[in-house]
Amino acid sequence: MTEANLLQKYASEVFAGLVAPAAEGLEISAAPAADALAKEDVLVRMDRELKRALEKPASERRWVMVIDLRRCIGCHACTVACVAENKLPPGVVYRPVMTEEVGTYPNVTLKFLPRPCMQCEKSPCTEVCPVTATYHNEEGIVVVDYEQCIGCRACMAACPYGARTFDFGYTYTEQLPVFDGVTIGGKTAGAYEHASQEYGQAWERNGRHESPVGNVRKCHFCLHRIKDGILPACTTTCIGRATFFGDANDPDSLVTELINKPNVIRLKEELGTEPRVYYIV
Amino acid sequence: MLKKISYAVGALALLFGLWGVYVRLFEGEQSANYGSYIGWGLWVAMYLFLAGLAAGAYMLAAFEYLFNVPHFKGTGKTMLWAALITLPAGLASIGLDLGHIDRIWKVYLQPNFTSFLAIMVWGYTIFLILIALSLYFAFKSPEKAAMKVVMWIGFVVSILVAGGVGFLLGGNAARLYWHVGLLPVQFPVFAIASGAALMLVIVGWFMPNLEEKQRSDLLWLLAVISIATSVAKLYFVVADYTQSLYGGVTDNLIAVNYVLNGPQAFTFWGVQIVLGLLIPVIVLAQPKLAKNGFVAGLMGLFLLIGYAAARLLIVVPGQVAEMMPGQAEAFVGPKLTLEYTPSLMEWSVTSAVMGFAILGILIGMDYLINRKPRSTEVKK
Repeated sequence: MTEANLLQKYASEVFAGLVAPAAEGLEISAAPAADALAKEDVLVRMDRELKRALEKPASERRWVMVIDLRRCIGCHACTVACVAENKLPPGVVYRPVMTEEVGTYPNVTLKFLPRPCMQCEKSPCTEVCPVTATYHNEEGIVVVDYEQCIGCRACMAACPYGARTFDFGYTYTEQLPVFDGVTIGGKTAGAYEHASQEYGQAWERNGRHESPVGNVRKCHFCLHRIKDGILPACTTTCIGRATFFGDANDPDSLVTELINKPNVIRLKEELGTEPRVYYIV
Repeated sequence: MLKKISYAVGALALLFGLWGVYVRLFEGEQSANYGSYIGWGLWVAMYLFLAGLAAGAYMLAAFEYLFNVPHFKGTGKTMLWAALITLPAGLASIGLDLGHIDRIWKVYLQPNFTSFLAIMVWGYTIFLILIALSLYFAFKSPEKAAMKVVMWIGFVVSILVAGGVGFLLGGNAARLYWHVGLLPVQFPVFAIASGAALMLVIVGWFMPNLEEKQRSDLLWLLAVISIATSVAKLYFVVADYTQSLYGGVTDNLIAVNYVLNGPQAFTFWGVQIVLGLLIPVIVLAQPKLAKNGFVAGLMGLFLLIGYAAARLLIVVPGQVAEMMPGQAEAFVGPKLTLEYTPSLMEWSVTSAVMGFAILGILIGMDYLINRKPRSTEVKK
């Protein structure tokens, strides 16, 4: 078998394309590499499917998230994107990535598990809320009405996934010095820190008593973005394309295709929570 | 003398506590040490303790008004009053734990009755009204049928609300340390145990005017109740912990080890077991000591401290196991930790609540229950 054949047989298309110029005299077609690069990015497909889903009545959509654990490299870009998108204060996190070290040296590897809110269909958190401040919206997403929440934290105790955190009123800039017109710090940074558009509303962050301070907060699949036809921040930011989002009621959607495969699991299914987040393992 | 000391302790506790209440109300919850992973701490534990105390005090008042136990004659009003004070104290403790206490009215006007918390708020409000009604009838017409009816309803409700608190925790299927059928069963026992301990203090220290024979008999009876309930409590703990250790489920092991060998080991072994159980049981088993007012009161106080510690060791360990492995290290930020020791501000607020309870009980006893008739009333 010639070197060219070997390359064509065993190496990836992209790799073969890259080494081609160096392999003098070998007959390697550039076509496979070009085809690979021309392949549609899943984000483009999901974006198109999102817009298609938004044409349906809200109650007919079933938003799900699929996370391919084989592709997650633990870069935490989704966590950071989420913090930036929702202007999360210190101590509030919607989508941490758990890291687990497996094995003993030298046979060691790391496993990563991004954990957004599972948006459970049978959610223990909504049941325990004494004032229905957290509930399923008409699309089935578990939301929090900040103006209704009394801050009892019963939902935090009930959530089997630890997906809720409490807003104690911290800000990233409160310890910084304030020099008018020179440095943004302390109170002058308020404009940045209260620019959050969660649930399609601007949230002021001027004190330690006004919502969402004193409330439990959680991932809401970036509903404010979805409304405008934009994928959740964690999905668009994932550099490994490990996070997928879409309407599982659409039989032709990517997420439907993915969750129907046999290597898909949901976390803590034994609790009967029926999560809307699926993991490919 | 003991009463003066108790007044002073109550006043000092309240004074120290006012600082914490001020900080909590005007500066928020940042200086509390509970967080997003251990979301319920000292104040929730003290709510369980004080609400249980109220239920227990009410149950013991029923010994006079419903069951006509002669030893308890003349103590019912005091126990009803103690319930009327300790329940609001407990509710204040949980109220200050809320992120938005200003919205508490929503639980009444916009309740979600699938929430056990909402049911409990309603239950405790009904219980508070029943306590007040019982006290009213105890003053006005203790022999009338209305009193019996109210007391019977109140007695049943006291058991339900006490058990309900257990369900409030136990209903969380994700928290294995709490999610045992035994938990709601334990709490009414806890309630009557803490009620008996409170009565040991009240009768031992503040009711010298009871007839001597009745007083010593009552103290002995309370000692027997305290020993029996303490042994029952110990049995619950041993059953719970051995089952958890034998079963070996990770979350349970983490919680039980946290109590037995971890950061709360002293609270468990030193406060709950030795101070709050062994010493009182051994002392109260001696009839001569149990009938001594000072000793009985002191043992009652030890028992109460032990029961309060036990509540803390139910609430906190149930939250120390990560819901997802690696959660605590996944994202760094304030209050994203699985470690919990109450902060000075939290202790201060609890101090205010306890000070209020101590002073409230004493003032009520002195100026309402045992009020000497004025000379004009004597003439009538």
